[in-house]
Amino acid sequence: MTAHDPHDTPAAVPAGEGVPVPRFGIEALNVHCGVARIPVPALFAGRGLDLARLANVMMNNKSVALPCEDPVTHAVNAARPLIDRMTPAGREAIELLVTSTESGIDYSKSVASYVHEYLGLSRHCRVLEVKQACYGATAALQLAAAHIASGLSPGAKALVIGTDVSLVDEGAQYTEPAMGTGAAALVIGDDPRVLALDPGAFGTYSYETFDSARPGPTFDVADADRSLFAYLDCLSGSFGAYAERVEGADFATTFDHLAMHTPFAGLVRAAHRKMLRESSGVRSPEAVEEDFDRRVAPALAYPREVGNLCSGSLYLALAGLLETARPRPGDRVGLFSYGSGCASEFYSGVVDARAQREVAALGIGRSLAARSELTFEEYTELLGETRSCLVPERERRIDVDRYVPLLDSFTKERELLLHTGIDGFHRTYTWHSADRPAGR
Amino acid sequence: MTARARIEEVVTETVLDILPGLDKDRVRGRAHLRDLGADSVDRVEIIVGLLDRLAIQEPLASFADLPDIDALTDLLHELLDERSGR
Repeated sequence: MTAHDPHDTPAAVPAGEGVPVPRFGIEALNVHCGVARIPVPALFAGRGLDLARLANVMMNNKSVALPCEDPVTHAVNAARPLIDRMTPAGREAIELLVTSTESGIDYSKSVASYVHEYLGLSRHCRVLEVKQACYGATAALQLAAAHIASGLSPGAKALVIGTDVSLVDEGAQYTEPAMGTGAAALVIGDDPRVLALDPGAFGTYSYETFDSARPGPTFDVADADRSLFAYLDCLSGSFGAYAERVEGADFATTFDHLAMHTPFAGLVRAAHRKMLRESSGVRSPEAVEEDFDRRVAPALAYPREVGNLCSGSLYLALAGLLETARPRPGDRVGLFSYGSGCASEFYSGVVDARAQREVAALGIGRSLAARSELTFEEYTELLGETRSCLVPERERRIDVDRYVPLLDSFTKERELLLHTGIDGFHRTYTWHSADRPAGR
Repeated sequence: MTARARIEEVVTETVLDILPGLDKDRVRGRAHLRDLGADSVDRVEIIVGLLDRLAIQEPLASFADLPDIDALTDLLHELLDERSGR
């Protein structure tokens, strides 16, 4: 398919005679990937990693969190610009807030409870958090979309935010340069100005495996082969399930663009090659490369600048695709979400005529370019403190003033929420901007 | 040539495809693909390439725990045997 009538969806839900197929999906999308970055070659050099491996890692920069950033600040800073663009009535219509994270801050109290407060959402908003490694945000998006499509609360919106921080250090070897930090925020509703979901067009594939996990608040465990193999098996399995629901679905021709969960860009390249070979019989290296450059590479533009955003990764990929490739209205996007442990889903949607304007208004690429560059020494100096970000403590003070110079390029234009410490186990935050400095 | 010897040959060819310049005598026995300089993406490409060449349909997860080339060759041999119904 090349040109699409948005109503000509590969919907698996048969529309009754004269009954319109419901329209629902992503109304707005923003990502916030911190305020600092380290160039990946500098990190390779600093750690003494083999530069020859950069070719398969395919990463340029890695977002780095400061001690005054955590899963709450990432989530709020990603969602705030979306909230600011809404009318008061629009904000009131947010009836569901779901945070998805593998960077929890408490066994009981969710990141969502803080996010709800700092975004000033309605007290009548349903608030919860989900956990399913990097797949959680997609599960939340699908459940929210189904709630909206049900018509049980006409005009309702949902806010889904995938937010995570990285805990890796040199012990993670080649995984360290690949791990990012930040959040992706999505408004789900019945006016999908960014991406209209194809109703009922999805396939899921999940099973128990111990490929990677975060057993405690300070470290991850990962088995590289098990993890990559599970990702690839899940892509085959979930696309197979999608194709069973959606008649005539073909990996090579049904989608104008592909956006995938991106642990690192090199894995997505390998996954695309494998899928073309096994599901569409495309083998010629030239044909594979042409297809990769056209349908896959645009969605890698931002992940290559940030690293693995975990729960938000797929939506960082989608944002990069929308902002850099400028898909035409009616273009179909195939999306693949994977989370360790493992759970996965392949689904699709159609780009709305207003998507360009919606995404451009948020200036995501500009924000990525505005991040302060850290030297290897500055990065390693921060690691000790940032790796303890999720550790529960009775009291903690964070000297926000130390980091203000690194925030400047952001806070001239907008307020950022900063993490200032912990007071009786209660995490504390403050808004900061150039003209209203934190704590003044 | 025995079936196992043919698989050994295919393993060597596939590894050299992904790691050109490797001494072919090193692709044997107790060596792990990691020891031969294959990074995680190379390892994916090697296993995917082997399944493709031998026309075997098997989840990649079955290959996650193999300690060395011998074990890889044994598993492929087993999978081919199963397919021919022996």
